[in-house]
Amino acid sequence: MSTARERILAQQNTPWKKGVRRLQGLLLDTILILLVLLMVEFLMLAFSGERGPTGLLLTPEEILDLLSYPWLVTVAFLLATLWNLFYRGLGTSPGRAMVRGVMEEEKFLPWTQTFRGWFTVLLIQLTFFTGWLITEVQLFTFLTKFSKASDIVRGLLNPSAEVLHQGLVLLVQTIFLAFMATAFAIPMAFALSFFAARNLTRGTFVSRTAYTIVRTIMNLTRAVEPLVWALIFISWVGIGPFAGVLALLVHSVAALTKLYSEQIESIDTGPVEAITATGASTLQVLRYGVVPQIIPPFLSFTIYRWDINVRMSTIIGFVGGGGIGYILKPRVDLGAWGEVGTLVMLIAVTVWAMDIVSAKVRERIV
Amino acid sequence: MIFQQFNLVKRHNVLTNVLSGSLGRAGLFSSAMLRFSEYERNKARAFLARVGLEGRESSRADALSGGQQQRVAIARALMQEARLVLADEPVASLDPALRHSIMRHIEDLNQKEGMTVICTLHDIDLVRRYATRLVALRAGKKVWEGTAEEFGKDTFREIYGEDAEPASNSMI
Repeated sequence: MSTARERILAQQNTPWKKGVRRLQGLLLDTILILLVLLMVEFLMLAFSGERGPTGLLLTPEEILDLLSYPWLVTVAFLLATLWNLFYRGLGTSPGRAMVRGVMEEEKFLPWTQTFRGWFTVLLIQLTFFTGWLITEVQLFTFLTKFSKASDIVRGLLNPSAEVLHQGLVLLVQTIFLAFMATAFAIPMAFALSFFAARNLTRGTFVSRTAYTIVRTIMNLTRAVEPLVWALIFISWVGIGPFAGVLALLVHSVAALTKLYSEQIESIDTGPVEAITATGASTLQVLRYGVVPQIIPPFLSFTIYRWDINVRMSTIIGFVGGGGIGYILKPRVDLGAWGEVGTLVMLIAVTVWAMDIVSAKVRERIV
Repeated sequence: MIFQQFNLVKRHNVLTNVLSGSLGRAGLFSSAMLRFSEYERNKARAFLARVGLEGRESSRADALSGGQQQRVAIARALMQEARLVLADEPVASLDPALRHSIMRHIEDLNQKEGMTVICTLHDIDLVRRYATRLVALRAGKKVWEGTAEEFGKDTFREIYGEDAEPASNSMI
């Protein structure tokens, strides 16, 4: 009779699965080698002094269009295949190491003694230099041309009192906007988080499906910026703070569900086991074994979320979602830096105060 | 069920922890509000008094010492009115003096309440003092079975292997 462990090992080592993992390794290697080749060609073109159709030096965007992609893919695939075939002589390739682990005799070699180690270092170095060119880093300009921005900084440091009253009124709106979004988000995220926690949803097919659905929807929701949600809700309910509340609400539900469910996943299973042993139903187990353990971290996350929402509502205001951002945007566009300075300071003071309060409260309840 | 790590709900008070033993027969709605009938509450208080914890009903469970927590867990097992109690190394995380106090409470479950107690222990002294029937396991297989009287020096070797020495000679 085979033990459970042997059965699992046998399952992992079927020829089919072995083949799939070999292909995964090969694919990874191809991608990594391709990246190196592309970046080498990019840097060669960038430093070759070649000029484009306009007679100027090639811009990074133009170089990206000029790279010989089909060629390099072929070469990378060939190199990856060779490395995977002769891995005994060359040392394990990075893709193979990731998918299948390294060979026994290589395990304790320092990176300087493996081909894979040098390859990784080369990859990181190339990425840094290519990134420098693609993002057009200009250290010299940064260090010498500060005077051009000094107007703005001077304005910010000399706030004008003109918008102070209006700013304060809208600041109150901003804080309540963030509060309402958080308050509406709590019950929804609380309910959803139980379905998004892996340790509670292993049981049945239904719960596993619920897990996948909730997680997928929440990830998609979170991937969309609150700014975009604001635009959607502004055309839905009109310009104003309510659109801002809805935009922050959607984003908060997604973020809180993720944080809450991760907290549920890290609970101590002892009490759960003990309550289950008393003959309690699933809901009772959740109420007695799970909920008491997650209340303090939930509160702390929620306060932190309110804090984040206050900061975000400024940006939401830029597009018409209410709050202080609504009067900030036109002043930025006009270059009324004194008034911008006033508003920025109001926001800064609020965020600073929220931060202190939330830190104190979290200290107390955890 | 009695656990090595007690497994109380740390943020609930002692009485609620004991009352959670009755969840199997509690209504769903009232138990969701942490409400229990006066009858159950009185019973829980009586069990707490029996394990020597009267007056600690409203302390939070994590404010208690290890021995006290295990006594709460025993009261919870009493509350459950089970016929069979499984105790998984109930005294492994307690000091030698407390071990006997806890084991005596567990013995009471059997002697006074008539519950069957299956208890795993590492300490041979405790096993010989409290158990009526002994089963020795090694690597998941039964290697010896008998009563406390039948347990001798040879039995110890038989269970733990040739090189093992009993910790103290007094117990054999």
